[in-house]
Amino acid sequence: MTTGMIAWTTAAPAVGAAFVASTVEVVEAFTIILAVATLRGWRPALTGAVAALGALAVIVAALGPALNLVPLRVLQIAIGILLLLFGLGWLRKAVLRGAGLMALHDEDAIFERERTRIGDEVKSARAADGIAALASFKAVLLEGLEVVFIVLAVGAGRGLMIPASIGALAAFLVVMAAGLLIHKPLARVPENTLKFLVGVMLSAFGVFWTSEGLGAPWPGGDFALFGLVAVFAVAALALVAMVRPRAEAMAA
Amino acid sequence: MNVIGEVLEELWSMFVGDRRLTLLLLLVVAIGAALAVLLPRLHILAAALILVGAVAILADSVFQAARKARR
Repeated sequence: MTTGMIAWTTAAPAVGAAFVASTVEVVEAFTIILAVATLRGWRPALTGAVAALGALAVIVAALGPALNLVPLRVLQIAIGILLLLFGLGWLRKAVLRGAGLMALHDEDAIFERERTRIGDEVKSARAADGIAALASFKAVLLEGLEVVFIVLAVGAGRGLMIPASIGALAAFLVVMAAGLLIHKPLARVPENTLKFLVGVMLSAFGVFWTSEGLGAPWPGGDFALFGLVAVFAVAALALVAMVRPRAEAMAA
Repeated sequence: MNVIGEVLEELWSMFVGDRRLTLLLLLVVAIGAALAVLLPRLHILAAALILVGAVAILADSVFQAARKARR
C-alpha cells in the first residue's frame, strides 16, 4: 500500500510535468506545420513532420540504451543540472511575461511570421515544397528534441520513463485533436501559464534529482517534490509581484 | 547541414542561453557537492543549499532582466 502510494506520488508529477511541458512544445510545432500547410499544402508539411519524427525515433533508439550504461547518481546529477537550467530559464521568462516586462508568446503572430518567412524564401527558390518541408522538419525536430529531453529528464532518474512518455503522448494526441478540429493556430492555449507551471515543475525536479545524485536526499522522499513545487511557485509569484510595479512605471 | 546546425544552436541556447545563470548554478551545485562530501551527516544542508541557491539565481536573473528593460 505504501509502495503504491509512493509510486503514485512520484508518477503523478512525472506524468503532469511531461504532459504540460509537451503540450507547450507540440502547440509550437503545430503552429509552424499549419503555417507550412496553408502556404504549400499538407503534403510538404506532413513530409517534413514525419521525417523529423523518424529522425527523433532514430535518436531515441540510439541514445536510450546508452543511458543504462551511465551510473544512476551521475545520471541524476547531470539531468538535475540540465533540468534546473531549462526550468529556471522557462520560469524566468514566465515571470517576466507575467510582470509585463516581456511580450506574451503569440501563436497567431508566429503563424503569420512563419508564413511570411517561408513565402519570402519560396519566391527566390525553385524547390518551394522542399523549403516548406524543411521548415516543418526543423520545427518538429527541435520541439520534439525538447519533448524527448523533458521525458528523459522527468523519467530517467527513477525508472519513470513510461509514465513520462504517457504524459507526452497524451499531450501530442490532445493538441493534434484540438488543432485538427479548429484548424487554426492554437492561440487560446494559455501558454504563459503553462510555461510557468512547467518552469516550476522542472525546477523542482531539478533540485530533487541534483540533491539525490549528490547523496543528499530530501526528507520525506518523493513527497518532498510537492514541497519543492510549492517553494518555486511561491517564489516565482512573489517575483512577479515585485517586478510588476517596475513594468507599470515603465509603461506610464 | 544548415538545419542541423540551427537545431544544435537552438538546443545550446536552451540550456546555456543565459551564461550568468549557468555559471551561478554550476557554482551552487559544486558547493553543494563539497558540502555533501565534507559533511555527509548533515546532507540536508547540501540539499537546502541547492534549493535556496536555485531560487536566489532565479531572482537574480529576473531582477537583472528587469534592470536591463528599464534602461
